[in-house]
Amino acid sequence: MAVEGIAQKIPFWRNYQVLRWTTQIVSGFAAVGLVAWLAIRMVSAIEERSIPVGFSFLSRSYGGPIGHHFFPYNPSTTAAETADSFLYSLLVAAGNTVVLSIIGVVLATILGFFIGVSRLSGNWLVSRLSLSYVEFFRNVPLLIQLYFWFTVSLALPPVSSGIQIGDLFINNAGVSFPWPSPTGVRPTVSWLVLACLSLVASYFVYRRRFRLEVRTGQPSYPVLSGCLAALVLGAVAWILIVAITGTSPFEITYPAPQGRFGRISGGTTVPAALIVLLLGLVMYTAAFIAEIVRAGIQSVRKGQREAARSLGLNNMRSLRYVVFPQALRVIVPPLISQFLNLTKNSSLAVAIGYSDLLSVAKTMTQIAPALSIFILVLLIYLVISLAYSLIGNIYNRTTRISNR
Amino acid sequence: MSDPQPAPASSRALPPPRTERGALGWLRLNLFGGWRSSLLTLISGAAIGAALFYGLRWIFVQADWRIVAEMGGRIAIGSYNTVDNCASQNCYWRPQVVLLGFILILGMAWGIAGKGLTKRIALVAAVVLSLLAFLPYSWEEMGIDVRLLLGANLPALGLGWLLSRYTPLRTYFRISLFAVAWFVVSMILLRGISGVPGMEPVSVYAWGGFMVNLILAVGGIALSLPIGILLALGRGSETPLVNLRVPVGKHRRLKWRLRLPIVKYLCVVFIEVFRGVPLLALLFLSQYLLPLAMPEGFFLTSTPLLRTAIVITLFSGAYMAENVRGGLQGLHPGQAEAARALGLSGVATIRMITLPQALRNVIPAIVGQFISLFKDTTLIYVIGVLEVVQIGRSFIQGNIQTWAGSEIEYFIFIAVLFWIFTYGMSRISRRVEERLGASSRARN
Repeated sequence: MAVEGIAQKIPFWRNYQVLRWTTQIVSGFAAVGLVAWLAIRMVSAIEERSIPVGFSFLSRSYGGPIGHHFFPYNPSTTAAETADSFLYSLLVAAGNTVVLSIIGVVLATILGFFIGVSRLSGNWLVSRLSLSYVEFFRNVPLLIQLYFWFTVSLALPPVSSGIQIGDLFINNAGVSFPWPSPTGVRPTVSWLVLACLSLVASYFVYRRRFRLEVRTGQPSYPVLSGCLAALVLGAVAWILIVAITGTSPFEITYPAPQGRFGRISGGTTVPAALIVLLLGLVMYTAAFIAEIVRAGIQSVRKGQREAARSLGLNNMRSLRYVVFPQALRVIVPPLISQFLNLTKNSSLAVAIGYSDLLSVAKTMTQIAPALSIFILVLLIYLVISLAYSLIGNIYNRTTRISNR
Repeated sequence: MSDPQPAPASSRALPPPRTERGALGWLRLNLFGGWRSSLLTLISGAAIGAALFYGLRWIFVQADWRIVAEMGGRIAIGSYNTVDNCASQNCYWRPQVVLLGFILILGMAWGIAGKGLTKRIALVAAVVLSLLAFLPYSWEEMGIDVRLLLGANLPALGLGWLLSRYTPLRTYFRISLFAVAWFVVSMILLRGISGVPGMEPVSVYAWGGFMVNLILAVGGIALSLPIGILLALGRGSETPLVNLRVPVGKHRRLKWRLRLPIVKYLCVVFIEVFRGVPLLALLFLSQYLLPLAMPEGFFLTSTPLLRTAIVITLFSGAYMAENVRGGLQGLHPGQAEAARALGLSGVATIRMITLPQALRNVIPAIVGQFISLFKDTTLIYVIGVLEVVQIGRSFIQGNIQTWAGSEIEYFIFIAVLFWIFTYGMSRISRRVEERLGASSRARN
């Protein structure tokens, strides 16, 4: 009878609960056992060979060189002042990685969108050109590209006989150009705060004008008025600060060659290694981003664009207001993972001698416990990547089509 | 009277105007449709023209390609056959025999696949390799035996084709087994066996050139996909994939999923850690950590090459897991439910229903990961193995008087070499995708 068939006892090796718990417990024990075994072996090996471990070195002063740094760093070991600590130096190096990857991400996104859109251009030549860009830069290892640009940068003239175009100096040490240098802590910081506030305010201006345009259908120039508002507010803040403190928040300094060897001081100098690294990373990542953008735009049905055109939006506007908002939902998740890839690929700086997190850490291992440093480095990279995933998840949550 | 009657001739369809037909119409449609498009055409045409002019002039007039000729066999096998590493300098035949074996396998693949891309790839590879036998080196630089072994690639391809046609080696499964066996044999061949004449051991540190990149890529590709699938199944054990559950008690709702939180979180941690850190950092760490953690003389961690192979494979496996998971999540749960309703077991459902569909839907991502693994093999310079990029750099550094400034030529040559392989892989993936109809189905 059928009822008896169901009532039959299930053999324990096919019982769901038994299987489930066996799998869980066995795999759990296996994992814990493996990790414990590795840890025990490592500890005994460390004791055997008396390898230094621990994190007490972090507060000691480091004093090693960090070739280029976005954040202030003091390696001097004179009697008067002590050098920055290991921890701070590591954070400065991490800051290099973060800042350079943010610059790289912005540039790669711009270039990638540009190329991705031109791949869909109706113009045969333009779309072929971007296709060959993508196929070439995507398929050649980044390391070779970096070495290539690095070798090219070595061919630039030396500092003493560099190229000068106006206030722009180009030589094999880097590129120098005029730069607004902060004059003091108080005026600079207070202007920066005010500038941020005025940016926020101008965003509200933009939104207001935009809504006005949507409501009335009259051209209200939202972008233009937003930019104008930011400029005017920033200028007002500048004048206010000059009037109160008597000094302007920033002063433009000009680069000029000095001394016998023509070392350039003043302005700002972007080191050649950073330019090479950014060039390689941006061109490499842009090829991937272009493919993502193309796939995203193609995922929007053709009718959407045709409907936008027939409503009277021009080509740019139908892209901007109809196609892109829908395509972004497809574009952003892989885009974020490309940002993450760019950040991780920036560790190839080791190969061309730029002082990013990994290369500074590698230098540090010569005088500090390597194991501890590598653990810290991995943790910092993990934190960066978790931050990216967090941004991605938040974006996904806000743009998800709720009604599916 | 004044109303003109429509001419009777209008019933005959007029041909489209000349500007919309043929070459002229194509030009107008694709290059000069409106002033904006024309402007773009002119600008990009000028850019292409300039790039072609300067590029070709550089390639044919200014560049000094002698570095590639001078490097010669070093590009392929590094310093494998130098006096230091192979005293008799009679070791070149071993990589060459390995190569012959893989060409044989390619021939078998052609025999099975019949016409199409496989045939073209097999023929081009074998012909190019055979033509290398006629390189204009002197007999001292490139002996008759080397040339013969290179020339044997074309017969090897034919032999493979015959084997797959007329011997039991005519299923994909058997050929795969043969390939795995050959991989193992070739590792032993390359490493050598002490005491056997003609097989003097060559240290793994001495392996170099493109050979190392290819070995790492082939091994990594073969292993990272299974690892990725296992990780994805483990991570997805909360999603309705694995299904061993039978309804227990009448109050519980029937849920088509197996909940294994411990397995799931183990997989999540593994995947996220490997995806969250740069490969370079992992390679540095493995050089330092694995020898400490593993018992001395433990086979898997005994040589740096093997350690990097493990790290690259696991790293790639973690990415692969995410690709496979994407494919699994894209499947409709009804597929697994229907399979269960037909009476398939949980494992059979995965093996025959969900996994094949999931993998088919993410072929581009999987091949993309293969390509990126292949490109990542250049990073093993951190352990001091002179793979194809570093062998050139070290050669130029070592003879800087003669070869200063030749790096650019060498890097471009290597870039093109890599490009041929990676672009070929992406073409194959596109072809496989078309064959399986995945792209059209995913769109519906």
